[in-house]
Formats: sequence, C-alpha cells, structure tokens
Amino acid sequence: MAANPYDLLGVSSSASASDIQKAYRKLAKKLHPDLNPGDKSAEEKFKEVTAAYDLLGDADKRKRFDDGEIDASGAERPQQHFYRDYAGSEESHPYANSGGFADFMDRDDVLAELLRRGQQARANRRGEDLHYRLPIEFVESISGTNKRLTLPDGGTLDVKIPPGLVDGQILRLKGKGAPGAGTGGPGDALIEVEVLPDRRFTRDGDNVSLELPISLSEAVLGGQVRVPTPNGHVTMSVPKGSNTGTTLRLRGKGAPRREGGSGDELVKLKIVLPRSPDPDLEAFVSNWSKGKNHNPREGGPS
Amino acid sequence: MILSKQEFLTASGVQVETLEFWLVQEWLIPEQTGAETRFSDGDVARARLIQNLKTDLGVNDEGVDVALHLLDQLHGMRHALARLHKDIAELRSRRS
Repeated sequence: MAANPYDLLGVSSSASASDIQKAYRKLAKKLHPDLNPGDKSAEEKFKEVTAAYDLLGDADKRKRFDDGEIDASGAERPQQHFYRDYAGSEESHPYANSGGFADFMDRDDVLAELLRRGQQARANRRGEDLHYRLPIEFVESISGTNKRLTLPDGGTLDVKIPPGLVDGQILRLKGKGAPGAGTGGPGDALIEVEVLPDRRFTRDGDNVSLELPISLSEAVLGGQVRVPTPNGHVTMSVPKGSNTGTTLRLRGKGAPRREGGSGDELVKLKIVLPRSPDPDLEAFVSNWSKGKNHNPREGGPS
Repeated sequence: MILSKQEFLTASGVQVETLEFWLVQEWLIPEQTGAETRFSDGDVARARLIQNLKTDLGVNDEGVDVALHLLDQLHGMRHALARLHKDIAELRSRRS
C-alpha cells in the first residue's frame, strides 16, 4: 500500500480516534464487496481502506506509524473470500430471494415467462432423486422381505420389498434422495429391483411355473409328492397316468395379485427314469407288447 | 466443502451462543440432514459478512436483519438477471 493511510481515509493527521472510525465506517459501507456484489473494483479499494484503518484504528500502531517506525506496507489483511463469491455462483443458493422482482413475474409477457422459468429452475429446488439397484432372490420377490441397501457414501437404506414384486419394478422411498435447496425438500430414492433368476421357478404374470421331476411309477400309478412353492413345500397328488408335460395347478400358490388373492403355481411334470439302467424294467418293457405298438409321434412330427 | 457445526465454528471464529442466535434469526440457514447440521463454504463467508457488518461497519442486529434481507433480494435479482442473460443469448443463437 503506497498511499498515505490518512489520505485513504480522508482524515487529517490530527484526527481523533472516533473521527477515524467514523471515516472508515463511512467508506467501508460504500466499498464493502458484499454490499457491491457486481463491482469488481470494490474489493481492491476496500482492502486499501481496511489496511489503512487497521493501522490508524489501533492507537499503538498509529503512534509507531506517526513516529516513522513502521510504514503503511504489510498491513493488508490476508486474502478473504467474500460472501458474494458464493452467492453469485451458478449453483442455486438457499438464501437468494425473489422478493425484489416477484411482481415482474406476475405479468404476462416474455420477460415474465423467462423470469418464471429461471425461478423454478433455481430457487427452492427439490433435491435430486437418487437411483439404486437392488438384486433380490426370486422367492423374496413373491413373499416380500426387508432388505438393507448399502449406499456409496457408506450409509444404509432399509427397503421393504412388497410381496409380488416383478423384475425391473421401481420402488420409491420418499425423501430418501439428495437434500434440496431452500424449502425444496429432499428428493426420493428410486430403487430398481432386479429379481435374480431361480433355477426352479419362472414367473408368468401372477402365476409361477415349476418343472417337477416324477418317477415312472408315480406317473403310472399316481401318488403324493412334495412340491416346492415360493412360500415353502406343499404336498400334491399326482393322478394316475400322468405324463411328461402334464400341468397341475396349485391354486393360490403363485404371486400375490394387486387386487387381492394370488395367482397359481403351475406344476409341469417331467418323467425321469432311474439314472442307471434297471434289468427288471428292461425285462418288463421288452415283454410289454402294447408298448411296442404305441407310437407317440403319430399325427405329429416324425 | 461441507462442514460440521464444530468445523464451522472453528472456520468462522463464531461463538456457539452467537451461532444459536443467528440460527434463530435465520441469518444462517445451514442444510439439515436428519439430526446433523451441515454448513457450506458459503455459510462461512456469510458468517464473515455478518461479523463485518457488526464490527467493522457498526451495524446493530436490526440493521443486520435488514441488510441481509436486502442482500438476499439483490442476489436473487442477480441470479435472475444472469439467467435472463443466458436465455436471451440462447434465443438469439437459435434464431441465427
């Protein structure tokens, strides 16, 4: 700072301490960068005046300056970020308020339209929705469950999976997204649920399908078999003379319907012969003359 | 940068009772997530402005209230003006 601090504050070298303070305050009110957000030169001038006041506002420093012990240099305050640097940034600012021009937005012209649009985009902006993916097991998608999602920032989110949810369905957790600006309120967490494929069950609408292996004797003679369903095992009767492809229906064992009740489980039978060849079975089939005359390909692909 | 209440007090040099008063006055409106209060760098700068107003400029509490209110409106207008500026530039370039 080269200029004489007395000149900068506009006071005489014999001014009283209170005159100096008064002069400084008067200048600072005019020059404070935050009171002149659009004036780039204000900051430089304000710094000079502040430095002058730091020197002359302190009786001891002032005396040493008057005696020529110190000069006006080196008295500047460290670099300061003013509020205007933040309030003026592009990002929405929670404090900015439209009270100064709201009346212009009420009019019916292009300017009002542009102002309104800008206002909606900026002020009181609702927080963003955050997207997550959550894989769940097939049976969980039918019966419903509670899951805890670990977020990238280390936080957790408890998610209630409702029964009957389908792959790709999006759950919305209100207010669990990013925080908003001003009175905008937080966004939502949107959780896309991925239903992992199951090696037993497949889903078709509200129905659940299952391929159930049965033995030859169960197929020919019928019997009671245990069948898995998404909600646990049940016992089912296989009627006499069932075949591969025969589909049996377990009522109400499928996925819950939105309107109440549940779909069915469709059990598709598949006859499975014993793994190792059985001499008795071979002997029986070779003596079974009717079996040789039966052509299952008749009337179909040959 | 996001600061906790303690970090804010250190960064701004504001006393905890003073901060409580400012919060009640709504001179500062930090972000609230659950029970946690989070301050931004802008909040720190705003705190410094309030201190400047009170100590350097000799503004009393009523004066700070008025000054902040007017400043917030001024920044609101500046945002609106900047936005208008951008929109008009866009409209022009679309037309040409």
